[in-house]
Amino acid sequence: MMSLPFLLFACGLGAAWLRQRGAAMGFWVAGLVVLLVLFRVHMSDVLNIAL
Amino acid sequence: MPSDLSRLLNALGLIAVDTLLALAFIDQLWFRDLPCPLCILQRAGFTAAGFGLALNLLFGPRPSHYGVTILGASVGAAISMRQTLLHIVPGTGSYGNAIFGLHLYTWAFIAFALMVIGCAVLLLDNRQFARPEPWSSRMNVLPLTAFVVFVVLAVGNVFSTLLICGAGFCPDNPTQYLLFNGTPV
Repeated sequence: MMSLPFLLFACGLGAAWLRQRGAAMGFWVAGLVVLLVLFRVHMSDVLNIAL
Repeated sequence: MPSDLSRLLNALGLIAVDTLLALAFIDQLWFRDLPCPLCILQRAGFTAAGFGLALNLLFGPRPSHYGVTILGASVGAAISMRQTLLHIVPGTGSYGNAIFGLHLYTWAFIAFALMVIGCAVLLLDNRQFARPEPWSSRMNVLPLTAFVVFVVLAVGNVFSTLLICGAGFCPDNPTQYLLFNGTPV
């Protein structure tokens, strides 16, 4: 799940290399949305660190 | 600003992003400092921001590509600011090792802010957008190297995150690679 943004960005870079700018932008938007969702999930993480 | 200078600055910016992502890997692999969930999301923020610079190298500079970088850097800055605020109260500890007195998430916020400022400065000159043809047909060594390394680091983060977190969400304080059945680092 956490690797999904990287996967989408990597697919977007592949599409850009193949001259598919629209597809690249689509992958980037999808990656950013997933990134924001994951941030929402983890932004209230309880700290579990040694003090 | 001449378009060649814009191209050079975009390549240097992408190399800077490559360097940051590579340093994160060095910290993970050499110093055995596994990234927390918010740290991984900051890496993704750098990848999202560098995406716009990569588009500038492949398709030529466009305002929308700088917008991609600014939006990606803004999301990354929000994530790094959140983690900084988690630790800002004295006595609440910190995550990871400090470098030159600041932790990685604080450095990440500074880097994201510099990316936004840098893009705003580059957007000030319209002459770079006059060039009609894409640059990829004449990419020289520096932009091509920056792009290829960026792709390699993005793919590397896919596998690294899979190894640390498996298919689900990451533990709050990872101490082992979940996909290796809990192999301690």
